[in-house]
Amino acid sequence: MSTGAASARKPWYRRLANPNVLVWLILVVLLAICVAASPLFLQPENLRNVFLTQPIGLGLAALGQALVIISGGIDLSIGSVVSLLSSLAAGMYRAFPDLHPAVIVLFLLCLGAAAGSINGLIVVGLRVPPFMATLATMSLFQGAVLFYAPRTIGGIPRSYRFISDGAILGVPFSIILFAAVIGLCGYLLRKNRLGRHLYAVGADPYVSRISGIPVQRVRFLAYLLCGVLVGVASAFMTARFGGGGPKVGVGYELDSITAAVIGGVSLAGGAGSLLGTFAGVLIIGVFYNIMNLLSVNAYLQIVLKGAVLIIAVSFYAKRRV
Amino acid sequence: MERADAVLKLSNITKRFPGVTALDDVSLELARAEVHALVGENGAGKSTLMKILSGVYRQDGGSVELNGAPVAFRTPHEAQAAGISIIFQEFSLIRTFDVTDNVFLNREPTRLLGHLDKRAARQKTRALLAEIGIELDVDRRVDTLSVVEQQIVEIAKALSVTASVLIMDEPSAALTDKELRKLFDIIRTLKSRGVTVIYISHMLDEVFEIADRVTVLKDGKVVGTRRADELSRDELIRMMVGRTIEDYFPPLSSQRGPVLLEARNLGTGGRLSGITFQLHAGEILGIAGMVGSGRNLLARTLLGLEPVDTGELLVKGRLRRFRGIADAMAAGLGYISDDRKAEGILGPMKLAENITIASLPAYLGLGFLRLRREASDARAEVERLSIRATGIGQPVETLSGGNQQKVLLSRWLLRKPDIFVISEPTRGIDVGAKAEIYRILRQATAAGKAVIMISSELPEVIGMSDRVLVMRAGTIQGTVDQHKRPATEEQLMSLAVGHEFSMEGAGKEVGR
Repeated sequence: MSTGAASARKPWYRRLANPNVLVWLILVVLLAICVAASPLFLQPENLRNVFLTQPIGLGLAALGQALVIISGGIDLSIGSVVSLLSSLAAGMYRAFPDLHPAVIVLFLLCLGAAAGSINGLIVVGLRVPPFMATLATMSLFQGAVLFYAPRTIGGIPRSYRFISDGAILGVPFSIILFAAVIGLCGYLLRKNRLGRHLYAVGADPYVSRISGIPVQRVRFLAYLLCGVLVGVASAFMTARFGGGGPKVGVGYELDSITAAVIGGVSLAGGAGSLLGTFAGVLIIGVFYNIMNLLSVNAYLQIVLKGAVLIIAVSFYAKRRV
Repeated sequence: MERADAVLKLSNITKRFPGVTALDDVSLELARAEVHALVGENGAGKSTLMKILSGVYRQDGGSVELNGAPVAFRTPHEAQAAGISIIFQEFSLIRTFDVTDNVFLNREPTRLLGHLDKRAARQKTRALLAEIGIELDVDRRVDTLSVVEQQIVEIAKALSVTASVLIMDEPSAALTDKELRKLFDIIRTLKSRGVTVIYISHMLDEVFEIADRVTVLKDGKVVGTRRADELSRDELIRMMVGRTIEDYFPPLSSQRGPVLLEARNLGTGGRLSGITFQLHAGEILGIAGMVGSGRNLLARTLLGLEPVDTGELLVKGRLRRFRGIADAMAAGLGYISDDRKAEGILGPMKLAENITIASLPAYLGLGFLRLRREASDARAEVERLSIRATGIGQPVETLSGGNQQKVLLSRWLLRKPDIFVISEPTRGIDVGAKAEIYRILRQATAAGKAVIMISSELPEVIGMSDRVLVMRAGTIQGTVDQHKRPATEEQLMSLAVGHEFSMEGAGKEVGR
């Protein structure tokens, strides 16, 4: 029985084809282009914005999206859940101005879990394909937020805004929060039984089933976890935005999918990493940023985003065949 | 035959699938620490029976008793927990996981709160592999392993649970002789520890070497259970076949035209080698062989669905190298796959659309589809092949299997290919429709076309083929010209399983 010496000695350029490496490389190249293209890019204020403030909200949501995609599903409702939850948080504050921020956060985590459970139950219980199920709940949640709060609700107190603006020992709290979340989720995916099962179910539901993995329960848990992460994202976004409204989560569903896919998460399920997804989030953030710095027309930005997505995904597609 | 030490007792198991009874009143008893071989032709019901035992399928009737207590497994996991493990024919491995993660899939050693103990898993995997006497890097991803290595992972996976019954569904299919020895050693070790092994195989040599008892299944029924040492090979083969050839086959071809297709020493990826034959206009060339013998691979290779690595393929005298099935179609080949649902019909589409889909350019006028012409041609085809449907607008998936097959035949006949490759032409089809399909194939050869027919049903091969190629292990084991002397099932079976069958009058014309 020969053990493959071939796999051990991969030439360096073959290693680059690994999406986990490739995506960071793309980011570095993109950064180099940005530095060359605009002197404003390296301004401390801009760097803080690009790396510390902007990516956190989308990053948290994208982690949830990655978990779901790895398990073989997809979640199109993320953006509208973020909008709905931020509105409800702001609404809570309006009704009870003296609530402790922790209560609001806990409230949002529970609501996020509830939203995720609804998605999970539709996919698992009613056997609706994930794309259709979450397309429907996207409409459901977006409609609910427009009905509840057609306009932005402000008035989030300073104490709550600690989540986005505060710092502990000079380290921004948002960074601590994100590091803790990605660490926990990364642990769950790589070192915990549940994560192993998420990958297995996404890679091959049939094999998972005959190996005794409760496939439907794992699928449900993926949506539930995603919901909780979206709850965290909502808590952060409410603080950053200083309120809630129907536009807070706009674009998150597609941006989170884009980030995951750019980061090497396979839409077919069973493959991908959270760090890669985070790199995808940074790439998207840097991309938007440089477009703004260069004053590219907002609509043209959307066109370019589509083009970049095609290039990025086709890059991965070639390797697979 | 009541035995006190029966571990597992199956009584009157019945299982039906749409259009076919896969198991019919099957009863079977397994003793502790015995190796029990389960043999039978393809489609005899072996795999279905094992899938019921291991909780993949549920039986429609009958009962299973484990150690005297009735059991009904709803999932493979339940079966496993009760001590019945199975090594599936199609590997049950996650291709992107490494060896360790596959062996302990869903039984991952964990500490608190599901924290994976990878080191323990690795050690246990190494120990399991050492027990089988095999060295394998436990950190390698399964999709980088050879088929044999994957098989070993599969065995280790099954052994990682304390099984009282271990089912091996054709474990030897991909093994070399040396590896087979190893496998047998493993089986004997297991047996000495009191494990009952159900060994499914159609390699008779293996059966006689390893099995204590043999049960023969045929057409979903038990033919008999015998002690291996009281059974002769010839007897066993007779138990496996011995069906009367029904007389609904049309007469053999009366003319034999020029060579339409010729394979010269064709080979592909080591899975197919030295394939040499000629196909004449007006003849049906049957291809027989067991699952995994390369018969379907050969068809796919002829059609450009698999690359040709060695040798040459000539169609109508011209050397051809197909890069895809489109090339093959352009050269005059037509193909009906054995997987009607996945590679044949367009289920929700209309009958007429299914018939014309392969010849659409003929129905184009100025870029528009000529629907009226399509409809009239489809109606003519429905008439000609007596396809039973409510109309040409009926969705094909709502037709019976036989009528779906006729739709596929007419789809290709409409294209007027010179060479027809058809795999399992009558799988899952009732007898009446079978006869009609045979008639249609014969009409095609009478019109000067050539047919390559791959089939696992020996009576069909014998009843329909002018000549028969028998395949095993990716090579042609023999060619039987039925115009010289009719083939027998025993003869074809012997060639397919690699056993010299002694029987007077069994003419064999090996090699070409």
